[in-house]
Amino acid sequence: MGERSNVAEREKLLELKKVTTHYGPIRVLTDVDMVIYPGEMVCLLGGNASGKSTTLKTILGIVKVSEGEMYFRGERADQLSTAERIERGMAVVPENRRIFSKMTVLENLEMGAYLRDDKKGIKEDMDYVFELFPRVKERLHQKGGTMSGGEQQMLAMGRALMSRPKLILMDEPSMGLAPLFVERIFEIIKQVNERGISVFVVEQNANVALSIADRGYVLQTGEVVLSGPAKELLNNEAMKKAYLGEV
Amino acid sequence: MAVSSVSRAKRKVNWLPWLLLLGIAVIIIGRIIYLYSLDPRFNTAFFLRAFIESVKLGSLYALIALGYTMVYGIIRLINFAHGEVFMVGAFMTYFFFTFTPYPWFISAIYAAIIAYGSMRVLEFFRGSMRDPLVLAAGGVIFIGLTVLVSSITFPFWLALICSMIFTGVLGIVIDRVAYFPLRTAPRNSLLITAIAVSFLLQNLGLLVFTNRQTPFRPDTPLIQPLQLTVGNGQVFSNWLLLAIPLITAILVVVLTLFVNRTRLGKAMRASAQDAETAQMMGVSVNKVIATTFLLGSMLAAAGGAMWGLNFGSLNQPAILGILPGIKAFSAAVIGGIGSLPGAVIGAIIIGFLENFTTAIFPKTATFQGVTEFKDTFAFILLIIVLLVRPSGIVGEDLSEKV
Repeated sequence: MGERSNVAEREKLLELKKVTTHYGPIRVLTDVDMVIYPGEMVCLLGGNASGKSTTLKTILGIVKVSEGEMYFRGERADQLSTAERIERGMAVVPENRRIFSKMTVLENLEMGAYLRDDKKGIKEDMDYVFELFPRVKERLHQKGGTMSGGEQQMLAMGRALMSRPKLILMDEPSMGLAPLFVERIFEIIKQVNERGISVFVVEQNANVALSIADRGYVLQTGEVVLSGPAKELLNNEAMKKAYLGEV
Repeated sequence: MAVSSVSRAKRKVNWLPWLLLLGIAVIIIGRIIYLYSLDPRFNTAFFLRAFIESVKLGSLYALIALGYTMVYGIIRLINFAHGEVFMVGAFMTYFFFTFTPYPWFISAIYAAIIAYGSMRVLEFFRGSMRDPLVLAAGGVIFIGLTVLVSSITFPFWLALICSMIFTGVLGIVIDRVAYFPLRTAPRNSLLITAIAVSFLLQNLGLLVFTNRQTPFRPDTPLIQPLQLTVGNGQVFSNWLLLAIPLITAILVVVLTLFVNRTRLGKAMRASAQDAETAQMMGVSVNKVIATTFLLGSMLAAAGGAMWGLNFGSLNQPAILGILPGIKAFSAAVIGGIGSLPGAVIGAIIIGFLENFTTAIFPKTATFQGVTEFKDTFAFILLIIVLLVRPSGIVGEDLSEKV
């Protein structure tokens, strides 16, 4: 989405200021600073156990912030409940899809719109989801668990879109999918992003993620070690060695 | 070699329970055919009555079993206090339809529990217990109920509804006070707490309802005699024979509609499958759990009221809930714990096993043992089902969770 030279003056959608979180006595994130601007696509990279998923859970409020501040749409958000954050415009595509396998595809989509009351808006968004994922429409009355991995990923994304979010958080959307499907999923993520919805992707597949993201952060043992525009990260020497698999 | 011998040994173990089940089935069916063809007293009318009686008993167990299965489905807790919740429901119904022999301060205790529970429910909507509206509502409910409960006699249907509301709120209070603080604790702590709550309620019941046989004879047409002519025989009973299965069926249908059609019901099913993801969709899981306790306890109260009607009196409060509670729990496990239809199916099966066997082996010198041991049938079946199919009749594979 073009150049971002004047980012400093723009209104921030999400901001983490020196966020530290703990699982019991164990510190997982240390002084994480992060910003997401409206309409932007940001990816978070890092190896195993670097705190990627925890960052996402912290943003969502499943893991509590122990130190630092978090702002969402200009409002202090680190004391809000998960439901309140979702009401204010967050949505999530969880790791491993986590669709409700014993509920029908339609019911899964309805769960995505759980906090909404406007029937007309929900209908519109459902039509949009069907347009993006015709396959989901074909399977509407089937149990979620009977679909293939790729279809489940589509359903999970559709479910997230059903809340008409300002920011979609995605945890490893490429995990366990065939390479062809990974490409397709990222194409759709791009399409969604072009509608003006900010996307925050946690990924291990750094090449694919950086090729479509605007900016990226790299996490190592709970600390941000590298950040910048995606193109710079793609060409960064340290990055290449550690994550991009080039010699 | 080693592998095949292991698998063969495994198959060998599974034979025994199947044989047992087959044996029981053969004995029961053989006995029915024998009686029907040889003894004129055991005519169609007799078997029809035994059949409906079994469904009736099964319905009572089903109302309790649904609470076990719902709570287990959502927080994976076997709520051992549920039998006592059923006991409270039965006694509260009695309490509402009888002119109360209890002093005012006991009404005040009930009113306080209801008021506290209502405030907890209002807290969901207003955000805080200290909100003036919540405090005011609590006060009004407390004073109003104290006066109302200690001075007014309700007709049976109203007593039943009041008891269901009271017991439902009690369920929420139990969850809030005893289980909520342990949400993230190991499951064993929760289980032990449940047993403690069960003892607490037994002894509170003993204290409040006193240790005596309580006659349960409300002024309702349901206990009027009913006479049916079937073929050349007649069925003498009362309207409860038809009313209890019917009321149970209505409640089960309403519950099923609630769970499948409403937003909160869908949130319940979603939380049962994956609470964390449901939370990520914006579901307030604590609200869902409170709803589950509310519904489960309301059904148990309905079961308790009809239990009292059915047997005409209530036993000592300390033990009233134990046996029905454990049998209903067995029913939930037999059907597949966590599944609503499973609980109903399991309960009906236990109803049949218990009632039909005692009907076809009447209490004579020859068959005394059968009648005396009727309470054990549920548990024998439980053991067999656990050996053959631990996930229950309609339950899915237990290892499913990824």
